[in-house]
This record gives sequence, structure tokens and C-alpha cells, in this order.
Amino acid sequence: MDETESHILHQTPHRVPRIRTVSVPSQPTPRANGFLKPNRRPLSPVGPLLVPTDTYDSYPEILMPVPLRHRALQPSPDTWIRTPSPSSSRAISPSSPVTGVFPRGYHNYSSFGAIMEAEKETPLQEQGLGRRWLRWMHKNGLKHWVVPCTLLASAVVRWCIGLGSYSGQGTPPMFGDYEAQRHWMELTNHLPTRQWYTYDLQYWGLDYPPLTAYHSWLCGKIGSWIDPTWFALDTSRGIETPTSKLFMRSTVILSDYAIYLPAAWLFTRVWHAGRSRRTQNAALLTLLFQPALLLIDFGHFQYNSVMLGFTLLAATSFIKGRDLLGAFLFTLSLGFKQMSLYYAPAIGSYLIGKCLYLGPRDGARLFVRLAVVTAGTFILLFLPFLPPFSPISGVLDPITRIFPFNRGIFEDKVANFWCATNVVVKWKAWASQSALMRLSTLFTFIGFLGAAIAPIRAWLRLKNQDRTGVVPSVMQTVLLLALLNSSMSFFLFSFQVHEKTILLPLLPLTLLLSVAPHDSTTFKLGVLANNVGVFSMWPLLQRDGLSTQYIALTLLWNRLIGYDPFVALSHATYLDILTWMVYLGCALLHLMEIVFRPPARYPDLFPVLNVLLSMPIFFFTWLWSIKSIIEARWTAGGLSVGGPKDKKANSAFPTESPGGVSTALAPVEGVRNRREGRLRVQSLGYTAGKRQTYSRATSVVD
Amino acid sequence: MAVNPEKSDPQQLPRVPWFRKLAFDVTSSEWDILALSTAFKSLLFPAYRSTDFEVHRNWLAITHSLPISKWYYDTTSEWTLDYPPFFAYFEKVLSIPASLIDPRIVDLNNLNYSAWTVVAYQRTTVILTELLLAAVLLKFARGVPDPNTQRLISASLFLHPGFLIVDHIHFQYNGFLFGILLLSILQARQGNLLASGFFFAVLLNFKHIYMYLAPAYFVYLLRAFCMSPQGSVLPNKFFALANVVILVFIASLGPFLLMGQIPQLLSRLFPFTRGLNHAYWAPNAWAILTATDRVLLQYAKRFGASFSVDASGVSSSSRGLVGDTSFAVLPSIRPIHTFLITISLQMIFLIKLWRIPTYKSFLTALTLCGYTSFMFGWHVHEKAVLLVLVPLSLLAAENYAYFRTFVLASTAGVTSLFPLLFTPAEQVIQVAYSLLWAFVVFGPLQQRLYEFPRSLPAVIVGLLETTYLWGFLFLEIVVTLCPILAKVVTQNPERWEFLPLMLTSLYCAVGLIWAYARLSFLYITTK
Repeated sequence: MDETESHILHQTPHRVPRIRTVSVPSQPTPRANGFLKPNRRPLSPVGPLLVPTDTYDSYPEILMPVPLRHRALQPSPDTWIRTPSPSSSRAISPSSPVTGVFPRGYHNYSSFGAIMEAEKETPLQEQGLGRRWLRWMHKNGLKHWVVPCTLLASAVVRWCIGLGSYSGQGTPPMFGDYEAQRHWMELTNHLPTRQWYTYDLQYWGLDYPPLTAYHSWLCGKIGSWIDPTWFALDTSRGIETPTSKLFMRSTVILSDYAIYLPAAWLFTRVWHAGRSRRTQNAALLTLLFQPALLLIDFGHFQYNSVMLGFTLLAATSFIKGRDLLGAFLFTLSLGFKQMSLYYAPAIGSYLIGKCLYLGPRDGARLFVRLAVVTAGTFILLFLPFLPPFSPISGVLDPITRIFPFNRGIFEDKVANFWCATNVVVKWKAWASQSALMRLSTLFTFIGFLGAAIAPIRAWLRLKNQDRTGVVPSVMQTVLLLALLNSSMSFFLFSFQVHEKTILLPLLPLTLLLSVAPHDSTTFKLGVLANNVGVFSMWPLLQRDGLSTQYIALTLLWNRLIGYDPFVALSHATYLDILTWMVYLGCALLHLMEIVFRPPARYPDLFPVLNVLLSMPIFFFTWLWSIKSIIEARWTAGGLSVGGPKDKKANSAFPTESPGGVSTALAPVEGVRNRREGRLRVQSLGYTAGKRQTYSRATSVVD
Repeated sequence: MAVNPEKSDPQQLPRVPWFRKLAFDVTSSEWDILALSTAFKSLLFPAYRSTDFEVHRNWLAITHSLPISKWYYDTTSEWTLDYPPFFAYFEKVLSIPASLIDPRIVDLNNLNYSAWTVVAYQRTTVILTELLLAAVLLKFARGVPDPNTQRLISASLFLHPGFLIVDHIHFQYNGFLFGILLLSILQARQGNLLASGFFFAVLLNFKHIYMYLAPAYFVYLLRAFCMSPQGSVLPNKFFALANVVILVFIASLGPFLLMGQIPQLLSRLFPFTRGLNHAYWAPNAWAILTATDRVLLQYAKRFGASFSVDASGVSSSSRGLVGDTSFAVLPSIRPIHTFLITISLQMIFLIKLWRIPTYKSFLTALTLCGYTSFMFGWHVHEKAVLLVLVPLSLLAAENYAYFRTFVLASTAGVTSLFPLLFTPAEQVIQVAYSLLWAFVVFGPLQQRLYEFPRSLPAVIVGLLETTYLWGFLFLEIVVTLCPILAKVVTQNPERWEFLPLMLTSLYCAVGLIWAYARLSFLYITTK
């Protein structure tokens, strides 16, 4: 080994880069070549280079300075940039055979251009269509046009999805979600506010909060201005003209571009402020082309992106320290769709934690302000249903419509806990509806405990550090994980969940994975859950006639973010193997669906199998969110609080003293913690990456 | 101790699973383009489709359910088979999987069948056959001095908005056919002129519109292949080429020759009963001439005729939408006139090609041949502009002058295809997509090729061209507003339907004629 290294050391100055223009694979040339002069003295001052005689005995001694092979011809072309030492100690003359440059059989007949291209491919981080496109744009001087192009491209894609059919197309008398939305535009435009929540409830009565109603009113107003027949009261039911469809589709895209896109753009710029522009834009691409959201909003037809956009804007405001604005925006989100209550535990606990963190005086002030803003926004939203505009009972109509507790624990097949376990335990037969409701509430509550506790604990732990105006970067991770944890537990355990609700947990998950390194668990699990999320909606999408879009968008998004679960077996982690099995299961299920007809006894066989395959992944994601949130909590305050292990560590190394002064024994972590408090340029991915070393360090300390 | 690096370092062991070793000579970014375009095109499955869709479905049915002797006689549907035999064989091949997927696709009497199976199947065949184009374009990017630029041009062709509009929305198989054309051009680039001739003969038997390009092929192959550089004829090569071409034509027409159906076949292929202009005027010289005639006629109506007015011309097409045009004021154009003009202009380029029989010269002459036919041909379709744009794209990176020509012609040509789709949803897609395409293609090429103008006329011309290009923005706005204005202002909006079409056609014709003049000038003045 010593010899090798010394050779490497002494050889390095002599390695003059030289371009070899040998095509690959070059043929082994005969030994009688001018370059091979067996008796020449080496130019190297150290001594002759040794050649491994066992494998290359055909070459006795090559006594030449070693010319550096062209980068493209180096072994393992993707590693040259990372390894400063030469990869070979063997003397190589220009005439020596170039075998083993690429793995055998790989690029066997590649042209030189292809090899040059392969060489440029930097490792994992840089892979993916999105990243490559961004690099290309930067290289061609179109750097500043990346965002406009992205917006245009995403608009085109959204529009193209809209060419397809929608929920309930051509299925009278009830049609589907599309007709529901259109019907709301119709009734809000023709009826007084008092009747919005009471008019003909059997035919798609309005059951979303007032902001949806106002949004419908606005869309209906514009639509009626263009063509009054689209939204004529009662007579327009089930209208399916191409122009009315066009108008409806464009309202979704416009709403999306008004709320969700600015939210996603701000997210990348605010949360990842310390990352490169390319990383930010790659994250933007990841968010804009998330297939589940695209398929439901622009294919199936809903306005989820408005609700999600408001929540995302609220979260961004919190991270910016604009808590009141955030509270306002989150209330708007709640006012658009009650579904965003799934996020409420996380956001509530985050804000309470912030109040506690600020101390009795500032905290109480913030608390009161938050309460005023939230209550004020709600009152504003419900104003037409409150006195003096309507009798006091008027507000009960929307409330009873928005929270329908008189339905079953689950309706359709949905990949949550209740539906999946229903295969074994017949819940509906086993317990009364009210008991089930209580049970599900309890489960949900236990489910989001992590989300409810973690932000408060994290804030409390940060209390010791000197306060600055900015929100500590660790709270970014905690907030996102709390959102994930609480929405996922609602999805898994709560009452009356739809399959489309998976969009809510997928939002924080996609935000988390958008800048995570490709070999991190966050990324792998995030993409897996996203893909399975789309898969879990397959029965719905198939019913809507969106199967082509389902395949195209899922594959496109995976290609876009550079997702590649198929690593060599020797490098696979348990998560990788689980991923393979899940994908195999999905593929098999799709195949079976094509080939076989479900038996008459079990007409719902395939949806149930779908649920049984998807639910464990969501469950696993939920567990992972709990684990990660605990880990993220640790980073918030170092080793000071936690389980018994940490307590011991705390007594041994008091890393944080009230004044922020560490003891002499303070490990590196103490320094890092204080830095974390100030340097908010570190963003999610960075923290997530560091976390691994961090927990390792913990065990070392212990 | 010396170490064999391939064995000692575990990091350098191949980390790829076995199926990755099946990699073709395709880089990741090239796979990206394929993935992106395929995903995007499959989103267009439910898009609007023209009657060409039913035409091709009917051909599937004809070739599948009728014996070969009746292919060119069948009149069950109004969309009779009017492509040469290779295309009929091609449809025959496509009809076999179709019959397995859904037998009703190939049912001859099942007219206007539009179930999901037939839509998905036919759309998929377009995407799959277009892979030939992809493969050929990939080969174009190999073995050239500047692979990056060539790759960009290849990608621009593969993602060309023309193909998107005509093939993936309107429905045709141009991607596949241009794949054969480009294969032939690629063979010419690599010096395999015999193969080049072979593939062009094959192409002619797929779709006879490529006869527009035939003169350039004829001259080039004769001069560069059948003659030595000194000018002496090489009989061996000549007979080899002749045999190849004859064999191709025998393979195509042979069965019909034996059945004695050649006259019937020809009458199907060349229906000489159409007018000078297509329903929607292709943006060529005749569009300008027809418009001039219309303006003069209006002038004559308003202010009294100081010249004779042909009555049939007045009644024929006041709306500009009628297929058969006859001029009211200007002298009428007969097919023989267009033929003579086309041939005589082509002769100029062919003589130049005869003098300089190189690949680059051939490519330019080929483009110009197609361009001349498009400009002055009889009853030219707007879709034929692809015949100009595709070979012209290959020339785009030659230098800034060529690039500028390419930009003008592409912008005008693609815009002239827009009226092909008249449903609002698809119009949005074609405009947005073309904008994106133009941006991503023109921007980097402009950066690579830009040359500072060296004289005052060049500056002025450049400014005018830039103004013209910006004018497309206004054109699109006007064209979009036209129907709305017509509805608001006038009583019968149908009367004004022709206006946006005519505006588009004329504005694009100006650009295309200017680009034609530019390219001719460039070609004739090159040494």
C-alpha cells in the first residue's frame, strides 16, 4: 500500500493532462509499438513503476511517465471530480488497452460524444430531468428565464390534463365533483346568501365553508357574463358543452396560478434562501408537477390547490416570523375547505409554542393578537350568515353542512386504517356509529400527539438561546414534520375520509423531499409515498377516465425529480427493498386488473387490494414522521432534554447554559446549536442531512 | 505493491443493476427529451382530432378487410385510399394489432368510430412510429464537430410544434415519414448515396407529396453518385442506383401493375380537380395574389370598375373560404403556369447544385426545391410547410444568416399552421407550446451564432425583420379578438369568419416569401 501511495504522491506532478483521442473501446495494439521502450529509464525521480505482473504480464515494464488518461476514459467517470488521487498506479501508455473504463457491457459501443456526456453527469444530486434542464438553461444564458418557462410549461401541462374527462362526465342524473362545483357557481349567483346552504340539498348542496362559496360566486359571475346559459338556475344542471368545460377548467388553472404557484415560488425562495438558485428552481419543479395534485385538480376537477396554497403561504409567513399574517392565511385555508383542519394541530401547537417561547409578556401579547386575527377572519368569512345580515340560527346552516357527522366511518374504499382493517374487523357491525366516532377521534388524537407536542417542546428548548427576530431554521423542519404528522394521522384514523384527502399529507411530504438529497430517507420515502398516493387514487382516476394521464404524469414527475429506486442489490437499504416490493405489488395489481375480472363474490377485490397495499406505506410514513419529529426536536435544543439517555448526557455535558456560554467540555454540538439559532440560511435539506451525523454524535457522547 | 485499480477499489465496481447494462448509445438528456415528449403527447390523446383521424381509421379497415385488389376501388367511406402503396402496406401492418385490440376498429362499415380504444390505439401508433424520427435525429447528433448544437437542432425537430399540431392533435403520420426523409439525408451526409436514393424512393412510395423534393435528389444523385468529380459518367453506379429505385417501385407498385390497376391508382393519387388555393390559403405567393385580387375587386365595386371584372371570380369566393378560387380582376392562373414557374425557379438552384455537388449544397438545394414548390405549387396545403421547415432546421446552425432565415421561416410557418386547429382548448395549447419551443430553441442558437451586422442595409433589414417577428404577437391578439369583435359589432359574425384566417395567411406569407428570398440569395451567392 505504501508503495502505491508513494508512487501516487510522486507521480502526481508528472501527470500532465493530455487529451487522448482514442475511440472507445480501442483495440489492444501489438506490443511492438513505438511507445513501449522496455529499457528506457523512468523519468520519475523515484524509481521504476511497477506493473502488476499477474494480470498484465504481457507488458513487462513500462518505463514512461504516466500520462493522464482523458477524463472520459478514466475508470468510473462519475468519480473523477471527487477523488484527487489518481485512480491507477499502473503505468499506462497511449497504446495500452482501455478496458474496464466503463462497467463491462455498459456503453460498450458508445460514441465518443455519448461518453463525453456521460462524463459530465455528476453524481446523484445532479440527476433528473429537471436538474439537467436547469443546468442546460444556465449554460445557455437563459438563467433568468427559468421561472417564466417553468410557469408556461406547467400551464401547458395543466391545460392538457384538462383536455381529458372529468369526474362524473356523462353520468346523469347526479354527475360528479365537476357538476358539484359548477352547481355551486350556479346557486351562489342566483340565490340570496341565506339560501346557499339550504337550497335543494339532495342535488349537490353546498358543503364547503364560505370562502369556497365566494369563490364560486366570483367564477359564476364571470362565467355568466360570458355565457349566461352555463349557470342558469336549475336549467343548467348537467350542462356539458365544450365551452363551459373550457371555462370551468380555466377557473381551476387561474385559481391555481393565483394562490398555489406564488405559494410554491415563495416557499422555494424563503425556506431555501441559503440554497443555490438551481436547487430552489428544482424544488419549484418538484412542487409544480406533483402528479397527485395535478390529477385531482385538473383532471378529476377540484380546487384543492387553493386550500393547499393558502396553507403553504401561511407556513411561509410563520417561517418569516409574520405570525399574524400566517394566522390570517391559514384561516382563509380553513374557510376554503374544512379539510385543512387536518393541519390545525400542527399550526396551533406551533403558534402556542411561539407564544411560550416569547415569554409571559410578549407571548401573551402575541396570543391575544393571534386570537383576535383568527376570530376576526372567521367572523369576516361568515359575516353574511351572522346578525344583522341573517338571524342567529343562520350560521348553523353552513356549520351543519360543513361538518357532516351523520355519515359512516368511511364511505368509498380509502387507504386508511379503518378501511384497511375492515377486511379483518367489520367495524360497522362491531360498534355503533357514535362509538366508532369516539374511537376514531381518540386514535386521531393519539396520532397527532407528536405534531401537537413537538413544536411546543422545540420552541421551549430554543427559549434558552438569545432571541433574534428570525425564526430558527430548525423550526422549518419541525413545522413541516408536524404538518405531515398531523395530516397523516387524520387521514389514517379520522372519521369520513376520502381518498383524495391524501393530498393533504402529501403537501408537507413533497415540501420536505423537494430539496432533500437523493440518497436520504426523506427523499426516498417521500417519493414512495407520493407514488403510492397516486396509486391509491387509481380506482377514482380510472372511473374518471384519466388512466393515460395517471401513467404519463407519474412517470414524468419521477423522471423530472430524478427518482431512481433501482440501485444494485449490494447497495440497497431495507427501504429500497420495501420500495421494490411495493412497486412490484402495484405493477402486479395493475396487470391483474387488465387480465382478470374480479370474482362475482368480491366485486371490490381490486380496490380492496389497492387499499391493503397503500395503507401500510401511509402508516409507515406516519411512523417515520413521528421518528423524524423526535429527531428534529433534538436538534432544536441539543442534548439537554429527552429520554433517560439524554438526561444522563445532559448531566455530563451541560451544553447549554442560560447565557449561551458553553462549558469547556461542550462538544461540537453546542457550538452548532448556537449557530443554528442565528444562521437561518441553513435550510431543510441541510438540516436533514446533518441530522444523521448528529444522532450518531449523540450515541458517541453517551 | 502495485494494485490493479479495477479490482482493488470497491467504489469503482459497477454500481448499476443488470438491466442498466442494456443501455443504448443514448445519453440521459436524450432520454429526458423522449420521456418528456412522450408524456406530453400522451396527454393529448383526448384532444381534438380532424377528419384525418377517420381517414386513417378507414384505411385500417380497408387494408384489413379487403383484398389488395380492391384497396384503391373501395368507396364505402368518402375518405378513400389516396396514398401510395407503401402507406397502404403500412396501414395493413398497423391493422393487425388493431384487430386484436378491438375488431370494430377495422370494420369497414363502422364509419366515424370514435371509441376510446381506437383513439388510444391510433394516437399510440403515431407516437411509436415517430420513434424512427427520434432514432434518425439521434444519429444526426453523432459524429459531428459540434454535437451540442446538433443535438439542440435534433431536439428542436423532434419537439417541433409542427409535428405536435399536425400529428398529435390534427392526426397524421408526418413524424414517421419525415423520419424516412431524414434517414435518407443522413445517408447522404455519411456519403452513402445509394442508400440515400433507396430511402428516398421508399419515402416517395409512402407519400407522394415528397415529389416536391425529387428534383434535388435527382440532380444530386446523378452528379455526385453517378458521375466522377471530373464529369465522366460511371455506368456501374448509374445502373446500381437505377436498379435500386426500380426495385423499390416494383415492390410498391408491382402488385397493382400485375392487376392492371395503375391508372386507377394514379387517378386516386393525383386528383387534378382542385383549385389553386386550398380552403384555407397556404401562406405562399398565391395567397398574396388572391388577396390582391380581392382588394382590387372591392375597389372596383366601390369606385366603379376601370378594368374588366370576371363574373365567376366575383361569385366564387368573396369569403375567402371556398376551395376553388378564380380571380375576378387579375388574370387567372392555370396549373400549367404554376408548374412552369416552379420548374424554372427550381432550375436555378439545380444548376447551382450541379456545380457544387456537396452535402451542404444538396441540403440547401433540397430545402429550396421544397420551398419553391410550396411557394408556387398548385393547390398547396398549409401542412406542406413542414417540407420546408424540416430540412431548413438542419441548416439553422450554419451561420447567422441561415439562422435568421430559419427563425423567420419557422415562426411564420408554425403560425400558419395555427388555423388548422379551431377548437379553443387546442388553440391555447398550440400557441403556448410553440412559444415555449421558440424560446428554448432560438435563444441558445442565437447566442451561439450571433454576428454583428456589418453594413447599414443589414442593420435596417435586421430591424425590419425583428419588427416583423414582434408583429406575430399582435397578429395573435387580433386573431383572438376577431371573433369576439365580430360578435359584438356586426349582426352576422359568420360573414367575418374569413378575416382571421386571411390575416394569418397573408402575414405568414410575407415572412415565408422573404425567408425564401433570403435563402435563395444565400445559396446562389455561396462559393
